[in-house]
Amino acid sequence: MTGAQIPSPEQGRNISAPPDAPSAGSATLYGNIWLSIRRFLATLGRHTRSLLHFTLVMMGAGWGVVRESCRKDTWRRTVRYEFRRTLSDVAGRGLLSALVTGVLAGIAVVSQAIYWLGLAGMEEMTGSVLVTVVVREITPILVGILMLGRNGMLTFTALGLQTTEGQTRAMIAEGLDPFLLIVVPRTLAYTVASFTLGIFCSVAALLTGYIISRVTGVVSHSLLSFLYDVVTAMTPADYLLIPLKFVVEGFFVGLGCTVGGLTVTPEDTIQTMMPRGFGRGMLFVMAVSVLFSLSF
Amino acid sequence: MLAGSVLELDHACPDTDIGNLMPVPFTARVASGDCIMIECRRSVQASAFSDFCSGMIPLSAGAVRFMGLDWSELGSRQMDALRGRIGRVALSGYWPEQLGVQISIMMRGLHHTTRSIDDISAEALRLAIRFGLPGLPIDPPYRLDRMDLIRAACVRAFLGSPGLVLIEDFFTAANPVLLPPLLHSIEEIRQHGSAVLWFVSNASSHDDYRLIRNGLWHLSDDGLVTG
Repeated sequence: MTGAQIPSPEQGRNISAPPDAPSAGSATLYGNIWLSIRRFLATLGRHTRSLLHFTLVMMGAGWGVVRESCRKDTWRRTVRYEFRRTLSDVAGRGLLSALVTGVLAGIAVVSQAIYWLGLAGMEEMTGSVLVTVVVREITPILVGILMLGRNGMLTFTALGLQTTEGQTRAMIAEGLDPFLLIVVPRTLAYTVASFTLGIFCSVAALLTGYIISRVTGVVSHSLLSFLYDVVTAMTPADYLLIPLKFVVEGFFVGLGCTVGGLTVTPEDTIQTMMPRGFGRGMLFVMAVSVLFSLSF
Repeated sequence: MLAGSVLELDHACPDTDIGNLMPVPFTARVASGDCIMIECRRSVQASAFSDFCSGMIPLSAGAVRFMGLDWSELGSRQMDALRGRIGRVALSGYWPEQLGVQISIMMRGLHHTTRSIDDISAEALRLAIRFGLPGLPIDPPYRLDRMDLIRAACVRAFLGSPGLVLIEDFFTAANPVLLPPLLHSIEEIRQHGSAVLWFVSNASSHDDYRLIRNGLWHLSDDGLVTG
């Protein structure tokens, strides 16, 4: 049997060089440029692959959470305990922060919106603008950032340190699946908490806006009339899409922080983990918000 | 599988790139009620061998069977359930900081069984007192000193009558305060048919316990020497 001829190192170098190199000096120059381009492309490809890697992990983990949450044997007492503990931490302890955020948003946005609409003689559009701007756009972003800052970053860092210290491996050695015991209950707790905090934050923003506007004399009609304007400005789709936006945002903040924390490398330190966790979290919050706004 | 075998290494060869074990075939058998002392110089090797026995290191050849089940043929849920039957005494165990130590001790029993929490906590309390703790520690792990955390690790390892106990922390076996309760617990679980793999850095310093052990193996870079 005759095997294929193995190219020598010289032949290998010629293959990489452009075919019509006029001289040895030019060939070396072209070879170096070609090598630089290849290195650049390799670096670019590696970086792109690493970015795609986490996206694919997120997609798989997201489907995994949905699928596992539907299985009866997932909800063992340890998983239920973790779900309750996380929900209490995120929604219970975050409620005051969400209300304060809503009040500040109400002062900043709602009162201004009512004032300028009144000035333009478009008071009848107040409800529609408030639903569009505050409830549908601003509150989900604020709640997402609030959850990311208050709890998500802590989760990401704690799980990252746990993984680098080998505790996640020790957990697996005990027969405790980190996905089942950490990712599933915490992601679902973030999902429920996001909806809860979002509704409270929206109500606080609207009520504060009304109170500020009433006190300053911009509006004169009653609270019920104001709320009626808001409710009638909402389309039937809004009743589905606004809660869905809160839910999806909470789901991705929870999933991103837990999966991100569990997939850190041994080389990672707190200095590399925290910026990455925050960057990714913000990306999820903004991406979900923009995608919902563009789609519906 | 041989009758009464708890752990069986059947020409099992760890994957080259993973763990601190050399990629050489391991062949050994641990029977029900056995207490095998394994002498190895490095604690990372003890941890790697424990991982190997727990089906956490991929194999390039052969098989590792625990309670008659080949790790490589099991799904993830089955593997988790089976690992729930292995108790490990390791200082670098799973001690989540947001939970009290008592939850971490009972976690395996709460997750893998349907035993009542009262039942599990009563057994944990009995073991905690045996190992010299005043009760079940409810503080987070960073508030416990090293000795108490080792005691808690012992309680966790022996809780729920596991099929196999791996004592991979050298300090535990070398500590004169911990030895009496440790030997008591070993004898207790052996009577229930469980087996124990006890890692020591120097077997000659444990000659007093020759009667307790029924095997002495040597784990080195060249592999496992049994007999």
